[in-house]
Amino acid sequence: MFGYHDIPLKIVQEGISLSVQKDRGSLVYKRDCLDEHVEKRLLATNGKILVTPVEPLNKPKALTQYLLVEFEKTLAIEPEGTEKIFLTFPIEIGVYISPDKDSEVIDILTLKRQKFTLYGDPRNGIICKYWKSDIFSTMPSVNPIQEGLMELTIANTNAQWVELTKAVFNAYGMKLHYSNTMVSMKASMNLKTRNRAETDFIDSPLKKGMKKSLEVYAARKMSITAPKFIMEFGL
Amino acid sequence: MILNKVLYHSVTVFDLITAALILIIAAVIAKVLSLYLRRFLKERIAKEHLEIIAKVVSYSIIVIALLMVLPILGVRLSGLLVAGGIVGLTIGFASQSIIGNLISGIFLMIERPVKIGNSVDIDGTTGIVEDISIIATTLRTFDGLYVRLPNQNVFTSKITNFVANVARRFQYVVGIRYSDDADKSLAIIKNLIEEHPLALKNPEPQAFVDNLGDNAVNIIVWIWSPATEWYGVKMELLWKIKQALEKEGIEIAFPQRVVWFANELRGWEGKRTEPRHPNLGENA
Repeated sequence: MFGYHDIPLKIVQEGISLSVQKDRGSLVYKRDCLDEHVEKRLLATNGKILVTPVEPLNKPKALTQYLLVEFEKTLAIEPEGTEKIFLTFPIEIGVYISPDKDSEVIDILTLKRQKFTLYGDPRNGIICKYWKSDIFSTMPSVNPIQEGLMELTIANTNAQWVELTKAVFNAYGMKLHYSNTMVSMKASMNLKTRNRAETDFIDSPLKKGMKKSLEVYAARKMSITAPKFIMEFGL
Repeated sequence: MILNKVLYHSVTVFDLITAALILIIAAVIAKVLSLYLRRFLKERIAKEHLEIIAKVVSYSIIVIALLMVLPILGVRLSGLLVAGGIVGLTIGFASQSIIGNLISGIFLMIERPVKIGNSVDIDGTTGIVEDISIIATTLRTFDGLYVRLPNQNVFTSKITNFVANVARRFQYVVGIRYSDDADKSLAIIKNLIEEHPLALKNPEPQAFVDNLGDNAVNIIVWIWSPATEWYGVKMELLWKIKQALEKEGIEIAFPQRVVWFANELRGWEGKRTEPRHPNLGENA
């Protein structure tokens, strides 16, 4: 599904039906996914369609730039230890036309149920996209249409054990890569104290040969000054 | 020549024209610069910050122009400082409300209990803050009316800002019949909340039997939602809860009274199938 496609285009896969057809000098884009139907007339005569995983921040509403991944089980890291774990994360699918430097996403869809949560308190906290993930020590297989796989390197710089229940990321800085079998991302988490950590993304694919996604927020040329995030409301 | 004609002291017509020109140019620069700033920073910073920056820049240019113009018009700034106290006192008495609004406006900009774009209730007027100027605060009520509130009123009134915090809680009371299964009802309600994307996972929503009312078992439902979305979620979820409960045979209770007659109604004798009230006895 992911990658560049010529027009006319018809994709039917896992509950997603997506088509781009030429019609009277322009293009007609139609998409059905779950209960959602989208139809658009594109004033373009040709070009290519790029279908790519994008940041999970747009559905059902672009309310936040943060992603909170809650762990199924509490994770304890030994003093001054470094661990590499794998987590799943939600993805959304972006559809672009004539992708180049000035491309604009024409549609975003997702197959996963969406949920928001609050990190911190109602006064000072932040609204985050919510996801719950198991912790894996080796790479699990995931459905690339629905979920991505994150390699998270956790470094405990403290002289004490630190317990982790969640990780929060500034998802505007996500660096997604994809292949036919996997959507991936690399991230790091630096445990500053027992209650404070810094998360960041690493722009590197999980496997060789994976392609770089065209992220929505990078495509919109939003200035991302600090893709890092400081978790200061607890771990 | 008319330009060199002295009007008062050593101020000539030329000085007057120069002063007027400086003020006009300053006003134009202030306007253009604030417009440019609004356009340039529109996508980069929050609207409320943008408005403040634009106003500060605009007012600063005007003040600088005034300071330039006053000596040209023969007004000595050192003299102004001496006379400032007396003038200030006079102005203060003469225009108490304006000065009051102005000072309140400055304090509102510093304290910032409301920001442009916030949904607020100020002194009983509910709406969205459209503008906070140095003299007045403008609201657009939810029914589309323009309301201008003097800053003095705003500053001294009780202000409720509905979106000052990122999340807020709302509540339903769902009354079910005594014959219905409360545990099942709670499970249905919790499941519906879990499925709604904008009902926050944390703080955890709560649903519990709050009291055994006169006509219903009352279930309280507490849901947290993003402050900007809570009203839509509230409107959507209540009807879904009602529909889901009814689908499972659980009905929303309505006020009712069971009336026991001491003497049997004649037309009903022999038709009754339910047992008689035990307190009425056999002869009743």
